[in-house]
Amino acid sequence: MTDDIRALSEALAMDPASTVFVQLGELLRQRGDLDLAYRVGTRGLDRHPQRADAHDLMARVASDRGDMERAKAEWEAVLVLSPGHAAAHKGLGFLCFRIGDWESAGKHFERALAADPSDASLAAALRAVRIEPGAAPSTRFATPPAGEMRSAVPGVAPRRADPRTLFAEVLGDSARTALLLDSEGYVVAGAHAADGGGDRGALIGAQLSGVSEEADRAMRHLGLGRWRQIVFEAESASVAMAPAGNGVLLVAAPRTAPLGLVRRILEQALVRARQWLERGT
Amino acid sequence: MTLSVAAEWVELPLKQFVDEARVRLAVLLYPSGQVLGQFGFGRSVDVMTACALSAAISASSAELGRMVDGTPFTDLHYAGREKQIFLGQVPIAGGSLVLLTVFDDESSLGLVQLFFREFCAVTARAVPSSNAETPALSDDFERELNHNLAVLFGRQ
Amino acid sequence: MTSPFAGLLFTLVRHRGVKGCMVVDERDGVIVDANLQLGVDGSAMAALAASVYRKARRAAVAAGFGEIAFFELDAEHGRVCAAGRGGLVVVLVAESRVNVGLVRVEMLHALEAFA
Repeated sequence: MTDDIRALSEALAMDPASTVFVQLGELLRQRGDLDLAYRVGTRGLDRHPQRADAHDLMARVASDRGDMERAKAEWEAVLVLSPGHAAAHKGLGFLCFRIGDWESAGKHFERALAADPSDASLAAALRAVRIEPGAAPSTRFATPPAGEMRSAVPGVAPRRADPRTLFAEVLGDSARTALLLDSEGYVVAGAHAADGGGDRGALIGAQLSGVSEEADRAMRHLGLGRWRQIVFEAESASVAMAPAGNGVLLVAAPRTAPLGLVRRILEQALVRARQWLERGT
Repeated sequence: MTLSVAAEWVELPLKQFVDEARVRLAVLLYPSGQVLGQFGFGRSVDVMTACALSAAISASSAELGRMVDGTPFTDLHYAGREKQIFLGQVPIAGGSLVLLTVFDDESSLGLVQLFFREFCAVTARAVPSSNAETPALSDDFERELNHNLAVLFGRQ
Repeated sequence: MTSPFAGLLFTLVRHRGVKGCMVVDERDGVIVDANLQLGVDGSAMAALAASVYRKARRAAVAAGFGEIAFFELDAEHGRVCAAGRGGLVVVLVAESRVNVGLVRVEMLHALEAFA
């Protein structure tokens, strides 16, 4: 995927008016680079406001970022430009489902299915939201919590929440950080907000991933087995790390946080990370 | 950075050493100065120079050790401002080899010594019995030296 | 002849579960002084532990977290703790059952001898 992104970026740089921004934006969204996907999509949309796929891209990015109002507006713009657009009806159907508007959700799913009869997930979604005689919709499924499109509808693939917020529930306090890194030190999930704004997660991940490599080498030669946790206290933060998948999970908290608490948060974040790696949710 | 060897058996121990110790340069040679394998060098003339100097330093320090301590000095370490060198004798059946390595802050003397010990153990097992007699400075020395350099730098 | 670190090493190695303790030069990874149980490869431990500690220290500074005071690595069959100042690192290797909290306090206290 990285090679495709690079090639598309180069193509777009050479010709800013090119329509490859749609493909590029979608790949960035899939990779979790939502800010970048948003910027690419916005610039592309400025040049191509009449392209339905550009509005569809912006809707997906907005949905992943939790901006449901924007997502709705963009999918509605898609339908103005391309009535019967399957993806737009599907997206709007899920938005309606989220707020408990079963009837509207059903209508959108019907139209999406009419445009794309092969989509089995749509058929399942439609079955789920159709009101059976005598059954109130509210008794059939719980409304998914705000901020996340969960798979309360059987057979429907859940739309992924922003991976940057994967550990939000575990961390609680916004001053804490959790980052899931791959084997090369790239951030896979989580974020670290810097004081002046922006995300320093990539910098922190790149620096601290080297520590796990050193630990691996040391353990190979010292006969202590595999390392399970690294904890250190620095001037402004306490940091804990653990192997996770092919990479590393690290948690950082203000220096005032007790080390035992930091370790506990690491263990909880590790459970969350493993769940996400295995199931994607 | 590439690793190249003049004899196949050198590859595994030398690669293991440079990977683990994370050194910048390494060259394995006979005490006569004939190269057996190198890592990190870009030019054959640099390898030739490093081998010649290493062989001379190794021989001189061994003799100095005999004079001062009754037994040859074997390992030598020098710390520069940014880089350090380690020169060690690698015992093999019937003689020895010399390993020169250059490292920086990515490694340390302790690590180089640790992995050098492992290198000596692996090399002692890997060297073929036919290699047990290290080549003396023969009439064909220069030809063999040039041959090894050519093999290392892919010209043969 | 005893080194200036013999006392603090003796204090640390007395804790239950501690297999060895040493003062290591951070840059060179070589032992300055050590108090080790039989079977502990001090020179390997010194080189590798100092390397991990140094990597963590540099990474923490580069990441904006500042200098490290205390470092602990927990492995399947033991623990390695380290605390450093002024280019020297106290490295402690122990079984998993060691009371890390107590050892940590003593190691940080020992750093005062390095000032």
